Amino acid sequence: MAHITLNQYLQQALEAIENRDGSFCAELLSFKHPHVANPRLQLPSPEEKCQQLLEPPYDEMVAAHLRCTFAVSNHDFVEAYRCQTVVVQSFLKAFQAHKEENWALPMMFAVALDLRIFANNAEQQLQKKGKGKVGDMLEKAADQLMACFRVCASDNRAGIEDSKKWGMLFLINQLFKIYFKISKLHLCKPLIRAIDSSNLKDEYSIAQRVTYKYYVGRKAMFDSDFKPAEEYLSFAFQHCHRSCQKNKRMILIYLLPVKMLLGHMPTLLLLKKYDLMQFADVTRAVSEGNLLLLNEALAKHETFFIRCGIFLILEKLKVITYRNLFKKVYQLLKTYQLPLDAFLVALKMMQVEDVDIDEVQCILANLIYMGHIKGYISHQHQKLVVSKQNPFPPLSTVS
Amino acid sequence: MSREPKNSFPVPRGPHPQSEGRGCGRKKDCLREAQKNEQRDGPTEPRGTYTVTCPERECREREAQKNEQRDGPTEPRGTCTVTCPERERREREAQKNEQRDGSTEPRSTYTVTCPERERREREAQKNEHSDGPTDPRGTCTLMCPERERREREAQKRLHRFEMMPGMEKDRWPRADPTRTVKEYSRPAAGKDATRPHDLRPPSVLLKTVCYLINAIALSPSLQPWTEVYDFVFDRLRSVRQDMIIQRVSGPECAAVLERIVRFLLYASYRLCEEPLRLYDPRINDTHLQESLSWLLSCYCVGHHPHQEEFQALSLLYNLGSTRALQHALELPEEVRAAPAVRLALSVNRAHLERNPVRLLRLARRLDFLQSCALHRHLEACRRHLLLLYSYGHSSRNCRFPLRELARLLALEDAQAASLCRACGVSVTGDRVSFSKASYVEPPPGERQSTRSYELVDRKQGDHSLALVLHGSP
Repeated sequence: MAHITLNQYLQQALEAIENRDGSFCAELLSFKHPHVANPRLQLPSPEEKCQQLLEPPYDEMVAAHLRCTFAVSNHDFVEAYRCQTVVVQSFLKAFQAHKEENWALPMMFAVALDLRIFANNAEQQLQKKGKGKVGDMLEKAADQLMACFRVCASDNRAGIEDSKKWGMLFLINQLFKIYFKISKLHLCKPLIRAIDSSNLKDEYSIAQRVTYKYYVGRKAMFDSDFKPAEEYLSFAFQHCHRSCQKNKRMILIYLLPVKMLLGHMPTLLLLKKYDLMQFADVTRAVSEGNLLLLNEALAKHETFFIRCGIFLILEKLKVITYRNLFKKVYQLLKTYQLPLDAFLVALKMMQVEDVDIDEVQCILANLIYMGHIKGYISHQHQKLVVSKQNPFPPLSTVS
Repeated sequence: MSREPKNSFPVPRGPHPQSEGRGCGRKKDCLREAQKNEQRDGPTEPRGTYTVTCPERECREREAQKNEQRDGPTEPRGTCTVTCPERERREREAQKNEQRDGSTEPRSTYTVTCPERERREREAQKNEHSDGPTDPRGTCTLMCPERERREREAQKRLHRFEMMPGMEKDRWPRADPTRTVKEYSRPAAGKDATRPHDLRPPSVLLKTVCYLINAIALSPSLQPWTEVYDFVFDRLRSVRQDMIIQRVSGPECAAVLERIVRFLLYASYRLCEEPLRLYDPRINDTHLQESLSWLLSCYCVGHHPHQEEFQALSLLYNLGSTRALQHALELPEEVRAAPAVRLALSVNRAHLERNPVRLLRLARRLDFLQSCALHRHLEACRRHLLLLYSYGHSSRNCRFPLRELARLLALEDAQAASLCRACGVSVTGDRVSFSKASYVEPPPGERQSTRSYELVDRKQGDHSLALVLHGSP
């Protein structure tokens, strides 16, 4: 593959198209395939040759692809992105003309993936030069992908095996990746709706479904819907193939905070296995009610947590930590009428700065409101009166 | 009795004066020629060939207009010195040749190697590729372009703050050039907003903003302040528009936007009690958010002395927004360590942890403008406190001292009592009885925004408003 001539390459492409061999044709257009390193194919203007052998719009598509390999060999990703745009556009012309057949889907996957990757690289290149607005090229790439998506989604005539709707989930995953990168999560909603209302949603390949659930789970997390987030991310984690360690780790980074908020702490073994020891201190602090350790752990790994976007969610664990701390106070004092002072002392021991009795009352009131404590505060007696039955319900039972 | 038909049009008599001696009217002739060229060459775009700053024709037109306003309409004056205008003579000759020889190809008359036009085009394209398309640059040195001032004066569309002092009640007030400010005009198709004469460069924009703040917003004599606000708001919008058209960025942009944001924040507090017909908080909010996010994106490049102040203000104004909080957490270390930003982050954390007592306590430490930024969230925080306490203190014998509650809420006793009543919390004398069953969220229509002495007004103290709006140097 790395040594064929232009003619041989074009012949192969022509044959693949004529035989409707989508997978092979996809390889000929994909940048994961070794042919892109072949200098005989890296041409700045192969249009004439392509026009001789291939029919429009395939000639344009292949010509743009070859121009793209040329640009990549010069490390000009901006130009590569532009060429790839032409590839996608000409592909779409051909794709739309395929009535009631979907053999070209693998080609669509290949060119769509390369489009997103080049958009990323091009933006990074521009950022280094100090030009270009962040997210500009990615947004344009997203528009292109949406055009492909519309072609797939509106294919109502073909039967199930020939329907283009099988391409929808892949494109949606690519769009999710872009929207998360440019922080426009609200654009994910219509896509999620489209899949929810589709009858193919459980028939797609497991790999695509895992990716889909991962992103939907993350979105639910940012919308503070922790129960659905836990469902989606758990599904993704369980069904992710065990050989994809990196992916499993990524899922876990988001699954752990959600589970912790719902009261399930991860084992040290799990954290070691996936190299997520940053969570170890956090876990220990929360289950012991150790606010001091929690603050220290959050501060120590702040950069990591902020980069992943989970810092704010981990801060919500403070409420759980308070609950665990106060439960210890209750267990120590062995009485149902706990003086508020005791809690204040506990907090001061944890070196929580500038907290006073008013704030203690507020923290307790919040825990009561959320259902973590069953009882009430008596301001006159400055005591927390707890229920004789199960005053600190288990975390998993509280919403 | 002659019977003339009604609505009879006068019938033209005799040949058209201009087509004397020619078979066809001149305009038709030109049209045919243009059509013929179009068929042959394809439609041509009009190409600019003017080498002076203002097209000859427009200069003459403006001059004529000016003269007209001054002297009254003038008759067109002839300037042709020969018996037949040059243009007509050439045309007739070409026509005669055409009839004789058949249509002739256009004759090349260029004496240089490359037509001037093409050379200029190529040069412009080259510049575009290297510098990016050139942005319009303003040349207007006044707060209001002359043309607009004259137009509005003639059409009686001056604001009373722009008129010559003493002429406000006149039938036709004159514009005071030192007080007229360019107004905001909605962009529309066909309206060319990029004429350099009409655009104000960044230095003039800064002067304009300072004038608006010093002479209008801070003026003790201009009343009512809602009218002052409307005027300043509109003129500041026009300032932003000029900046957008000229793609201003960097420190000049930041200097203008900072003052705009301070003004809008202050206004959002000062006018919070006004009825909707006089002041709409949502419109103010939209423009404030736009200006704030533009300002924060300016800060991404280069060093800006007031960055910490505005990062903090953005955090406070957008309390509860994960996007704003995440943005703040990703700021560089020095900015995040600044006291203003740290305090704003603590306020946000208190909100995230659902601890309104802590939040209101921290709010006491904010300065005046920061409190103005936070102010719109205070009502919700107070209601949240009442909600939490309704659950936390819910018992039959609950008697919470009103004074305590008022202190926590940073309100006067009477205000605290009325807030309780609005939320269904029962108050008897100087005791409050919390009950989780009785708390109700007051419907949105009945939530009246009120100024806060304790948390906001008190902080202005001895600081002059000018210092607040211009910031410390």
